[in-house]
Amino acid sequence: MSDLLETRLGPLTLQNPILTASGTFGYGLEFTDFVDLAKLGGLCTKGLSLEPHAGNAPPRICETPAGMLNAIGLQNVGVKAFLGEKLPRLRDLGATVVANVWGDTEEDYVAVVGALEGAEGVAAIELNISCPNVEKGGMLFGNSPSATASLVARVRRATRRTLVVKLSPNAPDLVESARAARDAGADVLSLVNTFVGMAIDPVTARPRLSFGTGGLSGPAIKPLALRMVFQVARALPGVPLMGIGGISELSDVLEFLAAGAGAVQIGTANFRDPGVSGRLVDELEEHCRDRGVTVADLVGRAQRAPAGGEAGAEG
Amino acid sequence: MLEIAGRLRPYLRRAYSVADVGTDAGEVEFLVKTIGPGTAALEDLAEGSRASLLGPLGNGFSLAGLPAGSRVAIVAGGIGAAPFPLLLRALDGAGFSADLFLGGRNAAELAFRERFETIVPGETYLATDDGSLGEKGFVTNLFARRAEAEPGRYARLYACGPMPMFAALARVVERVGIAAEFSTEAAMGCGFGACLGCVIPGTEKPFVISCLEGPILPPRLIDWRKVR
Repeated sequence: MSDLLETRLGPLTLQNPILTASGTFGYGLEFTDFVDLAKLGGLCTKGLSLEPHAGNAPPRICETPAGMLNAIGLQNVGVKAFLGEKLPRLRDLGATVVANVWGDTEEDYVAVVGALEGAEGVAAIELNISCPNVEKGGMLFGNSPSATASLVARVRRATRRTLVVKLSPNAPDLVESARAARDAGADVLSLVNTFVGMAIDPVTARPRLSFGTGGLSGPAIKPLALRMVFQVARALPGVPLMGIGGISELSDVLEFLAAGAGAVQIGTANFRDPGVSGRLVDELEEHCRDRGVTVADLVGRAQRAPAGGEAGAEG
Repeated sequence: MLEIAGRLRPYLRRAYSVADVGTDAGEVEFLVKTIGPGTAALEDLAEGSRASLLGPLGNGFSLAGLPAGSRVAIVAGGIGAAPFPLLLRALDGAGFSADLFLGGRNAAELAFRERFETIVPGETYLATDDGSLGEKGFVTNLFARRAEAEPGRYARLYACGPMPMFAALARVVERVGIAAEFSTEAAMGCGFGACLGCVIPGTEKPFVISCLEGPILPPRLIDWRKVR
């Protein structure tokens, strides 16, 4: 791998800026037929809780134009099974692992992070404070800057690892939430999680998802997510960001880098095209080589360009 | 899982059973019923169009453990006829006989009916909701009567159809004591266990992941009281 692609996100240096998003990549092991995990900048695990969690009743997913709604409800094997069964294999495969964690309470988050603290092969912790599909915890921590600050501060004291905080686009003021997370000790911010949405069966008038609402993802949300990354990058210069939202092709990656993200996470596109993340690494490398630029050169270009005109014409 | 490259709608792939394989190498047949944007897009494909196929995924019907020369039952509801041409050929080839119970809303919905006539190694029973062909009523009742009239006739039941049909069949096979394999259907996001969208309420654990642990499942693993 060339250092053309290397990207620095605060204390975290990744070989390239292509990661896969939590909830869309299982524990990584589901994808070994399609992607060499060692080739990725990193993979974010399915959200881990202290105990195994069953998730929501079906139907859990529903396709919508250019995307999908999900209300999986954070089904996961629990942090103990992750450490015993998944992480050793990920380590053997050379994956850069970002452990995504969640809980109902601050104590739960601290306990999961504590369980991961001694584990070898975890590059960073990603705090999910933005899942819209659970009754407790999740997005409740992300929708209030004071709740965000309190949680992040507690987790910060519990770990020496790089701490990524995954923000919710449903927060009333995303910039304030971002500022609260940073001030409380987040090293990196990842944005955005899914947008709360809904679909109704027009014949029966029942919601298509058993949870009622769900999180919208896929290309449908890309312009919204891109605007949010741009906005946070502008408001909080110097804060390392990972951009997420409908990224499925190279031009999407370039847009998010230009908006100010030092890395991106590929999400829903993994379902349609399980090999897409590895391919994007190749395509980005070719792009950089052809143009004689590094990823570092690409990050934040739109922040430096004049608004509209040429800045809008790129990509 | 099939995908029409480059489309934003449908964005996700759709899961299909392999219905049959052709005599030419690489020829694979799918049965598609147009019900939404995903299936409509497949129907609109011109001959010679390219689609991307991810598979085979999940498990398949099993012939393991069937006593030599025994007879099985196949119950298909509507589009649930899809996986059975291939299974019938496999059963026939391995020396088993099979009775087919084929049901649907009307005569037009009984897919593969003519093909089945040539490949079913046993009897065929038809049922339609409107009585336009075969018996008027549910195919599950037809099967229940035949199975109860002659206990021990079937070494196994293979079924594919909508969840209410499975729920009715689960009661029948429990009563009569027939081992069964159901080809379950749930909306699938990925088809290989990553999205966890296609779960079915389970008896041994909260949910069975249809794409990974199925889609062929024995009815005892499914909690029918919770199936919506």
